[in-house]
Amino acid sequence: MSLRRVRLIMWKELLQLRRDRLLLPLVFIMPIMYVIMFGYVVGSDVRNLSTAVVDHDRTVTSQRIIDAFSSSGYFVVTQRPESEASLQPLIDSGKAKVALVIERGTEASLARGETVPLSVIVDGADSKTASVASGYAAETVAALDRELLAKAGRVSGGPVLDARVRVMFNPSLKSVNAMVPGLVASILMLSIMVIMSQAVVRERARGTLEQMMVTPITRAEYLTGKVLPYVGVAAIQMTFVVLIGLYWFDVPFNGSVWTVALGLVLFTLTSIGMGLLISLVSRTQQQAQQTVMFVLIPTMVLSGFIFPIESMPPAIVPLTYLIPLRYALVVLRSAFLKGSGVVDLWAPLSAMVAFAVGVFGLAVSRFRKRLAE
Amino acid sequence: MRAAATRVFAIARKEFIHISRDWRMIVAVLVLPLLQLLLFAYAISFDVRNVPSVVLDLDRTAASRSYLDAYSKSGFFEVRGSVADFAGVDDAFNRSEARVAIVVQRGFGSALAAGGTGSVSVLIDGSEPNSAQLGQTYAVALNQSLGRKALASWAESRGLGTLRVGSLEPRIQSWYNPGRRSADFLIPGLMIVIIMIVTIQQTAVTLVKERENGTLEQLLESPLTQSELIVGKVLPWAVLGVVDTALITAVSMGIFGIPLRGDVSVLAVGIGLFILCALSVGLAISAVAPSLESANIAGLLVSFLPGFMLSGMAFPLDSIPVPLQVISYLFPARYMVEIARGVFLRGASWTILAPQVLSLTAYALIGLGVATVLNRRKRA
Repeated sequence: MSLRRVRLIMWKELLQLRRDRLLLPLVFIMPIMYVIMFGYVVGSDVRNLSTAVVDHDRTVTSQRIIDAFSSSGYFVVTQRPESEASLQPLIDSGKAKVALVIERGTEASLARGETVPLSVIVDGADSKTASVASGYAAETVAALDRELLAKAGRVSGGPVLDARVRVMFNPSLKSVNAMVPGLVASILMLSIMVIMSQAVVRERARGTLEQMMVTPITRAEYLTGKVLPYVGVAAIQMTFVVLIGLYWFDVPFNGSVWTVALGLVLFTLTSIGMGLLISLVSRTQQQAQQTVMFVLIPTMVLSGFIFPIESMPPAIVPLTYLIPLRYALVVLRSAFLKGSGVVDLWAPLSAMVAFAVGVFGLAVSRFRKRLAE
Repeated sequence: MRAAATRVFAIARKEFIHISRDWRMIVAVLVLPLLQLLLFAYAISFDVRNVPSVVLDLDRTAASRSYLDAYSKSGFFEVRGSVADFAGVDDAFNRSEARVAIVVQRGFGSALAAGGTGSVSVLIDGSEPNSAQLGQTYAVALNQSLGRKALASWAESRGLGTLRVGSLEPRIQSWYNPGRRSADFLIPGLMIVIIMIVTIQQTAVTLVKERENGTLEQLLESPLTQSELIVGKVLPWAVLGVVDTALITAVSMGIFGIPLRGDVSVLAVGIGLFILCALSVGLAISAVAPSLESANIAGLLVSFLPGFMLSGMAFPLDSIPVPLQVISYLFPARYMVEIARGVFLRGASWTILAPQVLSLTAYALIGLGVATVLNRRKRA
């Protein structure tokens, strides 16, 4: 292995990267765009839902119910139509996301000790909002019930269930805190897979691979020189992501740097392997691009990066175990937010080792064969 | 005019031959979108269920057991096992085996029976905020109703009669999509994203490829004019975009039973305009990109990210910061997602969707203009 030849190949790759006046800016804009979009769009928490209230009861109690909703911080009462008939146009036009209907006689029935239904209508066409809004509504009604109970002095002295619900590791529940560790892994994979597979396929498509083979360079030297510049590019991109996350979005880092580093090294090997495999099965750059998309979309959807694995149907869940990003996410998120160590994470880490050895090994051995042909 | 048409069709035919020779391309354009549709429609949902949980029962009485049972029965928490002490809870969290831990303190059962305070704590792992958020709200609501039950049974056992305090019970109804099936919500949007990825990506590289192969010069030698060349190159992709739309619509309605409640003509016109917009974005990229790599990556960046994030297809756009909301109006996907969702789910008509259709028209005209200017400059 001659270091000089590796260095020359690296130099050539970097020159080519620099010559393309669009590629280099794209490579650096990409991670920034990703962090901003994921941080603000996916990470935005649903709050201040515009709510329409139809109050048929018009009593102190019904007013108390409306107040409880509007002071919860989740709902903002924007419309107060007279009847249910006017709710439909409001929800149709998106002016209201949630509607609350208080039936006539609510106060009277409550005073008699009955259980009174309170209708909460959510716009099911928007499933994230609908799901979150129903949760908030349940919580708000629970608080109201507690208040009603406290008011009824008659049963004071009865048992109390004192439940403390506490969120650990990410008490503010900011989605962006979980997003940033995931983004580090995704960008690493995306960047290595996309840019590197293109670079390798380009040589074959243009015939420069053959020229390379008549030089004294060995396969190992060629591969190292070809791969290292892109690992470097990915490292710079990840640094961008981490810095923006820590200083712009104030993501806390509670973890161990070593666990994070170990996870990243293993995942880098897997990504390089995947990039090489893609370049092996593709003859043209366009095909490589398509293959990347073919891998990328299931990875994004099934890894748990955006959509929680808990929300997937049981039949789909086994598929998620085939996605390397899934394990990287568990390792990085736990290491970032919970400070989990290597011992805690042995299971996902060993899966990552298996992927790294399997995918990287397969890619490198197949690559030799291809070169020898 | 006849001659121009002949030349345009000759180029379109050449492009079709290129596509049909490459089986991967056919897979990418016709099969991949359907696979993506199936994957998204089955896998994506925001309705969290079965959150893995562990219990730590320090009380071990009938009361604590029935309290914990309520969690298993809720359908939201899936109790995977119990741990012996707090160290076990830490372990389960650190290994990401559980997201929720329910701890019943010692003396819970006797305190409740005596009319005292029974303490429990629900610990939630916040590193997956989506599930944690819902877990928190469900845990609070569940405890509320359990507390009432405890009080009622206590009152009854003391012969105080039934509890004479009323309670409210939320009845949550979901309009337009009563089962709150995520598929209904996602598929109309998904269709748009898939078409966007197929068309932008492909048109972005099609001219760059001719340039890299040197065949662009040959084509320009021929009597073809610039605009004939572009129309001919883009036509097959427009056709494929329409075919994809039809396929996806058929699958969505046939397999997923997505309703088509509104005026189909709005949808058809919308899709036509949207494909023009996407093609003009692709053409603009192909004029600017110096190489296939940069065309590919720019295509990915412009089609995938905004299509997925800023179209409102999966993530609500009213809670994002204002500058990003403004940016979202710069991408045609946003208008098209509104049109598709309006027509499919809400039964919207021309009058309701007129603003979106007009925006798309304006976008298509401006986009095609910009793309033509950029391509002309490139040639000069």
